[in-house]
Amino acid sequence: MVELRLPHNSTIGVGKTVLAPEGAKNVRTFRIYRWSPDDDRNPVMDSYEVDVDVIGPMVLDAIIHIKNEIDSTLTFRRSCREGICGSCAMNIDGENTLACLKPIKSIEGDIKIYPLPHMPVVKDLVTNLDGAYAQLRSIQPWMKADTAPPPDKERLQSQKERSKLDGLWECILCFCCTTSCPSYWWNGDRYLGPSVLLAAYRWIADSRDEHTGERLDGLEDTFKLYACRTIMNCTQTCPKGLNPAKAIGHIKELQLARKL
Amino acid sequence: MNAYEPHVDVMRSHLGRVRGLGVGHSGAEHWWGERASSVVLLPLSTWFVVQMFRLGGASRADVIKWGGKPINATLLIALIITTFYHARLGLQVIVDDYVHGHAYLPMRLLIKLGTFLLGLLGVISVVKLVIAHDSTK
Repeated sequence: MVELRLPHNSTIGVGKTVLAPEGAKNVRTFRIYRWSPDDDRNPVMDSYEVDVDVIGPMVLDAIIHIKNEIDSTLTFRRSCREGICGSCAMNIDGENTLACLKPIKSIEGDIKIYPLPHMPVVKDLVTNLDGAYAQLRSIQPWMKADTAPPPDKERLQSQKERSKLDGLWECILCFCCTTSCPSYWWNGDRYLGPSVLLAAYRWIADSRDEHTGERLDGLEDTFKLYACRTIMNCTQTCPKGLNPAKAIGHIKELQLARKL
Repeated sequence: MNAYEPHVDVMRSHLGRVRGLGVGHSGAEHWWGERASSVVLLPLSTWFVVQMFRLGGASRADVIKWGGKPINATLLIALIITTFYHARLGLQVIVDDYVHGHAYLPMRLLIKLGTFLLGLLGVISVVKLVIAHDSTK
């Protein structure tokens, strides 16, 4: 029924501390969650002291510096380092965000870094997002139209119609929002989560798509859509400044509009 | 003791698991009902609280005289039905969020039955007031 205690193997211990090199002037401490499937140990928090004067301004710069110069076993995902690929999503200073967009200066005290919450950890800061990707697939995030496109050009859209996609198309699927949502923690097996619902609304709102009703049918479920409790963590945490809660609200309005 | 063991007890694809049993074809009524009933409860509850202050310390005969009037009886029954309807929807959300596993279905049924019976008790009590009112004429 209700689990009040975390499983024993989730208790986080204290790991090693790597001190800053001598002569370092501007030292910040990065406390990073470490867990490996290769041994039997519980997760630990390793501390790395880094001279932030010799690295770039973002948390990702520090993590890359640690991997290159201090501890090559540190495992994390990153690719574009400019907030467009969504790979380096992690929990920094208590908030899910992209390490590449989070300035070190914006954090006071030690910089605590954890993997995205409530997802199975593969290693260190890498989580398994297979479930979330499958949820995205289940809403069929592609154009579905029965009218043949014009033979010589793309499907047209008025400027007004196109403007409805603003705030939706920018989502990079980093799943910061989904993994910050308590409702997703509780019912992630049935609730689609803010990220996937924003993606679903992106196609519901698209004037070129002709399967709006079917898309709404697919979300007409106590859990898939309505497990959203408007907690708003999604909107607060989105590193791209988007508003998944508003998109979910719009879907609920449309569900109602076709019933009343 | 905490040896990592790959989870091989579920080999169904993630997409298959996500699609699961499909959609329940309901949810809008629940969501809308929760909000609509809360709005209806605002004036009804205010009216009820005011009436209770007015009736504070009144005799049984006075309460019967008040509750037996059609307008008061109607508002009372509306309040009772809306309250327990709202309670049913709200408690269901709590169970959806916090109860998992074998206890889930029994809890859902218990809430439906419990709120129905309590609401029925309230309605019958008002009907009894009305009958008492009529028999004193």
